Amino acid sequence: MSDRPPVAIVGAGITGLACAHALRDVARVTVVDRVPVPGGVHGWEAAETRELAACGAQLRLGETAIRWDGLTLLAIGQDGPQQMGAAALVIATGARPLGRAELGIAGGRPAGIVAATVACHLAENGLLVGRRPLIVGGGDWAMRAVSELRAAGAERATLVCPDGLLRERPNDGAVHVREHDRVVSVAGTPRVRTATLASGETLGCDAVVLAHGVAALRNVDGAVWAGDRAVYAQPLADPATVAQARAAGAEAAAAVRSLIDREERP
Amino acid sequence: MRYTAPVRDVVVIGGGVVGCAVAWRLSGTAARVTLIEAAHDLCEGASKGNTGIATSGGDCHPGTLELELVRRSSPGWEALCARLDTPFHRIGTLAVALTEEDERRLPELLRDAQDTGAAAEIVTGDQARGLEPLISEEARAALHFPDDGIIDSIRLTIGYAELAARNGVEVLRGAPVHSIERDGDRIVAVTAGDRWIATRSVVNAAGVEADTISRLAGGEQFRTWPRQGQYWLLDRELGGRFRKVVGGVPTPVTRGIYCVPTTNRSLLLGPTAVDREDRTDRAVDAETLDHVFDAAQRLVPSIAREYAIKTFASNRPASDPTYRIAVDAEVSNLVHAAGIRSTGVSSSPAVAEMVRGLLEGLGLPVGDQRPHAITELEPLPRLLGHPRPEQLFARDPRYGQVICACEQVTAAEIAAVHGMAVPPTSLEGVRKRTRATGGRCQGAFCLSGVSFLHSLHAGRRPPQIAVSEPEATLGIGAHDV
Repeated sequence: MSDRPPVAIVGAGITGLACAHALRDVARVTVVDRVPVPGGVHGWEAAETRELAACGAQLRLGETAIRWDGLTLLAIGQDGPQQMGAAALVIATGARPLGRAELGIAGGRPAGIVAATVACHLAENGLLVGRRPLIVGGGDWAMRAVSELRAAGAERATLVCPDGLLRERPNDGAVHVREHDRVVSVAGTPRVRTATLASGETLGCDAVVLAHGVAALRNVDGAVWAGDRAVYAQPLADPATVAQARAAGAEAAAAVRSLIDREERP
Repeated sequence: MRYTAPVRDVVVIGGGVVGCAVAWRLSGTAARVTLIEAAHDLCEGASKGNTGIATSGGDCHPGTLELELVRRSSPGWEALCARLDTPFHRIGTLAVALTEEDERRLPELLRDAQDTGAAAEIVTGDQARGLEPLISEEARAALHFPDDGIIDSIRLTIGYAELAARNGVEVLRGAPVHSIERDGDRIVAVTAGDRWIATRSVVNAAGVEADTISRLAGGEQFRTWPRQGQYWLLDRELGGRFRKVVGGVPTPVTRGIYCVPTTNRSLLLGPTAVDREDRTDRAVDAETLDHVFDAAQRLVPSIAREYAIKTFASNRPASDPTYRIAVDAEVSNLVHAAGIRSTGVSSSPAVAEMVRGLLEGLGLPVGDQRPHAITELEPLPRLLGHPRPEQLFARDPRYGQVICACEQVTAAEIAAVHGMAVPPTSLEGVRKRTRATGGRCQGAFCLSGVSFLHSLHAGRRPPQIAVSEPEATLGIGAHDV
């Protein structure tokens, strides 16, 4: 048992835990997460979180993984920097919506252009980023942003859904929908006042919430792109269901196994 | 209206790299100095939106004041940046010839460069790829300027001001100049923000607004206007692999697009150069950005859109002539440091010394040293790339709390900048001082955390904290109670 190779996993969401679970018989697994509880976006109370977290992996919670050199992971937390040797590194740090440059939104740099992840987090804490927000996207982040911002006091909201993949039509008279359209530029000083769409229409707004697309969070130096014994486990879906997250974790575990097998072979 | 007493020896108008450098230089003298800036923070114009190249002068015109001041500044960067806790690396520039025509122009450009006194040499395509393996196979030859450097122009500007403030320079931000009072041919007072400031002299370092300040003072009539540049910022995963600044061969019309690795290892592509009318317009457009990207990609083929994290525009102050550094012809105690178009960072130490000399000529007490003046800032260690993180943790356990994951900015760093003499007053101010929210996710992950920490340190409730200017608050609406 003790000669099993060490594997480090960054991210204790369902994806990371599923990967740890799949590797439980072939590796000594350590899972690092910056948040002090497991479960990621699915929460620590989810049944799957509890089931998977009991797989025997060592959980290092409240520590942020910052650097990988191909052999050692450096994490930093309340007890200072921690080095851990690992035969492979799995990055399961979750995803974010696309940013302004990635969406190709031109125009000035007014305040009030925020990622949906931020807008929702602030709204949950009673801070409203806009009374008349324009929300770019049609998936889970967009739906969440609409309901959270409305609940926090937004008077009206406009959903601009670039690819026509609107998850559902909000049952709310104060929410307007523009399908098959995208924001091409924004204007306003110092706060955003208008957004111009590809269709040529210009809409008034006091915030633009970016909720479209998915990009992996890439935060570990030396493993920003996959390579050097680093494997990405990222269910790039919006939203990542528990099943998708588990599948991504299992897939990453398979990649780690073949990496370990290759190294053990003479 | 609030009155500043006692009478100032010098009021410096403009908190960009030039004004802050002047304030820094004067802070070592006996003069009583106030630095005023219209925007909510220092370094809000061209000084925060530029390539970050500290040129050694090889691309300047011989016989100009610009060249002279750049050449005087260049040798001192290592020592000065160490004192101002500002990253600087003398990595050199390659001006790459991709076509036969480019290549034919190199000998002439080399002669021009040699006339400037800056080190320069022509290298073959293979030698150029040896110096910078990322450049294109198409490169036929290049002009190499080994003494060019890269500098963090934001940290430089804020470093100048921080050291000045610790030496007693009064720094007023969010204080646009409303009027300038004269008595005969002399300025006697400046009204800025809610302050009336009596002064013995004024330095006009207002960048693109330098003409407005001269007009308010009843001084010489000249015109400054914005020359807009658009840029891409790319991930440090690519920028960290660069060894040289890479540019094309300058033409008589333009210096062209550069690929500039920054001191925090990201990569800048730009700038364009288009004269504009609107001084506040910082809009980017897709067509221009495509042009910048394509030009950069021709030089370095591995530049790809997947590395893009931000696009932005900034306005550098154009004027005719450039480098108007002189006492005004009409107002005897007004010193212009204006029209410093695109080499403001590169010449700032020598510009500051020249302005000091002009003030001394006016009889102001800028010749004597201030006793006990500090000459360097204590460095603030950063977690990103730090070789011994355990030392940081011993210094402040908050180095264990990584707030911005992309740039690996910790709670300790955010706390430290709030304890400075010129602290951030906005999220943009926190970004400029720490890089928090400036990384590849552009705050999608950390903006809430950074906001709550800024709120805590600034003593303002989260909805009221400013994104940039005070009226651009983070929160709005119903829960604003």
